[in-house]
Amino acid sequence: MQTWSELSETQPTIARVLQNSVRRGRLAHAYLFEGGRGTGRRAAALLLARAFLCEKTVDAEPCLVCRECRRAESGNHPDVHRIQPDGQTIKVDQIRALKKEFSMRGMESAKKVYIIEETETMSAAAANSLLKFLEEPEGEALAVLITASAGQILPTILSRAQVMSFSPLPPDRVTKALVERGFREKEARTAASLTSDLEEAERMFDEEWISQGREKVVQLMNDLISRPQDAYITVHETIMPFFTDRQQIQTALDLMMIWYRDVLRMQVGQSDAVVYIDQEDTLTKQAFQLSQQKLGKNLQAVMDAKRRAGANVPPQLLVEQLLLRLQEGS
Amino acid sequence: MKFTIQRDVFVQNIQHVSKAISSRATLPILTGIKIVAFDDGITLTGSDSDISIEAFIPAEDGDNSNVDIERPGAVVLQAKYFADIIKKLPESTVELTLNDQMVTKIRSGSSEFNLNGQDPDDFPRLPEVEEGSQFTLKTDLLKALIKQTAFAVSTAETRPILTGIHWGMESEKLMCTATDSHRLAMREAGVEESGDVEFTNVVIPGKSLTELSKILDDSEETVDVTVTDNQVLFKATNLLFLSRLLDGNYPATKNMIPSQSKTNIQVPAKQLMAAIERALLLSDGKNNVVNLKSLNENELEITSVTPEVGKVTESVSCDAFEGEELRISFNGKNIIDALRVIESQDVAIQFTGAMSPFIMRPADRDYMLHLFSPVRTY
Amino acid sequence: MAGRIVMHVDMNSFYASVESADDPALQGKPLAIAGNAKKRKGIVVTASYEARRKGVKPPQPLWEAKKTCPDLLVREPRFDRYREISRQMFQLLLEYTPLVEPVSIDEGYLDMTTAGIRAPDIAASIQKRIMEELKLPCSIGVAPNKFLAKTASDMKKPLGITVLRKRDTKTLLWPLPCREMHGIGGKTAEKLARHHLHTIGDIAAADPDFLERVFGVSGRRMYERAHGNDDRPVDPEAAEQFKSVGHSRTLPKDASATEDILPVLKEMAYSLEKRMKKKHVYASGVQLTIRYADWTTVQRSARLQEPSSGWEPFYQMGRLLWEDYWSGAPVRLIGITGIDLVERGQAQKQLNLFSYKEDQETYEKEKLLNELNRQLGEGAVRRGYFKDSGYQ
Repeated sequence: MQTWSELSETQPTIARVLQNSVRRGRLAHAYLFEGGRGTGRRAAALLLARAFLCEKTVDAEPCLVCRECRRAESGNHPDVHRIQPDGQTIKVDQIRALKKEFSMRGMESAKKVYIIEETETMSAAAANSLLKFLEEPEGEALAVLITASAGQILPTILSRAQVMSFSPLPPDRVTKALVERGFREKEARTAASLTSDLEEAERMFDEEWISQGREKVVQLMNDLISRPQDAYITVHETIMPFFTDRQQIQTALDLMMIWYRDVLRMQVGQSDAVVYIDQEDTLTKQAFQLSQQKLGKNLQAVMDAKRRAGANVPPQLLVEQLLLRLQEGS
Repeated sequence: MKFTIQRDVFVQNIQHVSKAISSRATLPILTGIKIVAFDDGITLTGSDSDISIEAFIPAEDGDNSNVDIERPGAVVLQAKYFADIIKKLPESTVELTLNDQMVTKIRSGSSEFNLNGQDPDDFPRLPEVEEGSQFTLKTDLLKALIKQTAFAVSTAETRPILTGIHWGMESEKLMCTATDSHRLAMREAGVEESGDVEFTNVVIPGKSLTELSKILDDSEETVDVTVTDNQVLFKATNLLFLSRLLDGNYPATKNMIPSQSKTNIQVPAKQLMAAIERALLLSDGKNNVVNLKSLNENELEITSVTPEVGKVTESVSCDAFEGEELRISFNGKNIIDALRVIESQDVAIQFTGAMSPFIMRPADRDYMLHLFSPVRTY
Repeated sequence: MAGRIVMHVDMNSFYASVESADDPALQGKPLAIAGNAKKRKGIVVTASYEARRKGVKPPQPLWEAKKTCPDLLVREPRFDRYREISRQMFQLLLEYTPLVEPVSIDEGYLDMTTAGIRAPDIAASIQKRIMEELKLPCSIGVAPNKFLAKTASDMKKPLGITVLRKRDTKTLLWPLPCREMHGIGGKTAEKLARHHLHTIGDIAAADPDFLERVFGVSGRRMYERAHGNDDRPVDPEAAEQFKSVGHSRTLPKDASATEDILPVLKEMAYSLEKRMKKKHVYASGVQLTIRYADWTTVQRSARLQEPSSGWEPFYQMGRLLWEDYWSGAPVRLIGITGIDLVERGQAQKQLNLFSYKEDQETYEKEKLLNELNRQLGEGAVRRGYFKDSGYQ
């Protein structure tokens, strides 16, 4: 994502506001980019920096090839200053260097850009020195503060920065991004339906976790209908050993919920919207076998289980009880 | 790019520009030395973004031939490796060849190194000397200006603008001012070749000027100075030194100098310095407070007391004394710092009461002035 | 106050002894501690007994000392090291009694009343342990009060233990010149001489009311001391109180926001100002204490630009420290302390060239006030009038 038009595909409002401000030369001194991981905050910060520095912009779009544009990306631009946490937090030394930079004129021009990542990890003291700079911006400086949530930023900073909230990505965007990163679509769709956070979705692919988990849930859902007598064994031998902690049980329940929603979609003729795209045959079969009423009951049962999982019910008991409810007469 | 160069000349100039390169560079490109081959010579550039040094090696230097340039071009090479390699090569000449992929072949006798380079376009763009915007200073004068003001800059981070030396030029007079808000040093110099340049609020980091002073060769006669919006350039024969400027407004200092005085004294600088140095011997280094009292028209008493340790009493005879009796306390170390850069035999000091700043200057010159705040005991 | 036993422990030529303890090559040699030793124009701050025996008399210029004692060894002072050793020395004294009152870096009083007749043995044990564990010599005075204990420790140096009873005053003290009494300096001695009082015995025989008229409160004190009386208690906090003044508050409920802390901080800064003004002291630094809900406690301090007793610098510095060091975790207790106190008249501030006029104003005001006080205070008749009428 390197241009305003690309940004507008995912964050249309932000792209429009920022592009207009660049166009009119009316940028604020400081912006706070707030939003989940993968929503494009960092790319948008770089885009804004380039649009601010590039001398060959066309309708506020940076040219991407000039010296300014290239160096802004490679980290070699002497007047673009990036701060990211050194370990857990932004350290005192980093802030000292930043403060010193505030006191100097630009190296090449009066234009300076500061991009601060994970702003919430700054100490109050660091935030305060930043604040002083935001209060008396001399020269043409632009600061972009990036954070996961504006709620964690000092109110004094919030009031001096223009807040841009990046909306979470819709599932098909996450799927697309995952596929672009080389993951298989059937698993990408599943991951994208579990989270809108691209990085979290990516982590699900560590050690093939998502593809294994998915297969195991598919087997259970299949057994429940085709070999009901085996379902109990599948739970004990396949499901429980894999989804071990509470968090993973929740994910297993989510995967089951998505399954029943897919069956429902089959019944109402939205087959192109299903998540388990490789299971179309089984889904179709179950769409005939399960009444809409039973499907509704099953969805309710999974949702109840999810709630109970949050309330300290032992996982073993929880899943066994769910199994009983799912196997109740259709 | 392809050239063959005298190794000793190369090594010497690499050392010059390496002084600007920091081991903790913030930009990856600044870990490198930029090498540009022109038809008439080679430039080397190093920078830590605060200061930059550019050295020019002319192809021909009088009767000597330094470089034989086959093909112009440019590259940035890792300073750490490059400097060491060149230093240790076996022969007296070195050949550098740059291929398309920014890989540079370094050859000398039987040795051959291939060093990966970076794009020279990524290197920060340095301001250029524009004709007509520069003025010229004698090297020894420039060094004196620096020495006589740089010691007074602030080292605290609280007011960064005071870590710099303020330069202002008006009617062919350059005025340099430094203060840490407890003492102030001013040095004025007439500039003959001022090129009608005038400016104010040019604040150069004290550190940069101290570094410049170290680098400037005493054999250089003059230095050309250019002030741009962001940087100041000092150009000697084959050396260009640049420093970024401090941002912000330097406080007005002219109106701080008292125009009247109540007590005027004149004392031999050496004796005063020796007396204060001894008075400070027992101080624990926190405040360096020294008390001064006029005993009579010819004699001053300097004392210092440190609890737990003891008291020192010193007397200094003065050459001239006029006005009211005197009793004042001050930071002795600040006075010593100033006395060290005053080259005259006698100093004149003007006091305006125990709670007012006082002025010290060489008795026989008026181009230099030092201002000190007193210490209040309460 | 009958039956008290007070000890005065006095380290012998402390700085020089520490140097010898750290460098055995110096032991038993004439040694001087002098600033700027290399340049030869330093001043001898203190000297070992060997050096003193050879005529070195601190404080004295180094070149002079070298002339009288050519084989004099010289070291530059290391105050940090002396402070550290001093700490260890007082730690050792505290093993004998909690009632230890440090007087300076190298001397202190101990209240040893509970030791009874074993006191001289304990003194010997203290002296021995300081010698063995710190390799430092000291002299100890044992007496019924501070004044006599200090006088006693002075009687035999180095490594003396002297027991002084009240009944010894007549034989041991009275023949001595006035100047030998602790608390009598050169100027006072001269003034005493003008009134024909030359020995401590003369003071003891003088009319106490006369002494009080001439010397004020200290006249009465001289008289009492000359008779071997001194009822000052050994106060372990005398030095402590002087070093810091602080406040802390346990919060009604754990605080997790700066807004909840600042008002508390401000309120404590106000009362800090009140207490410090009452004590006539200024703080050179501020220390902030934060105790978290899990009882971990952090203390962080910073120097003030100049010694101060105003709430504002305390509050501002406290706030800066809070912003720098608060971890963000819930806070149970918050405290603010003025540290490195200096007495009124000892505080020093280098004026700021940009803002000295403010100081000029306060200075002028204070000068006027002092002048008025002095003039009013000198009306001795009026003061006597009130006193006699029983108004006080």
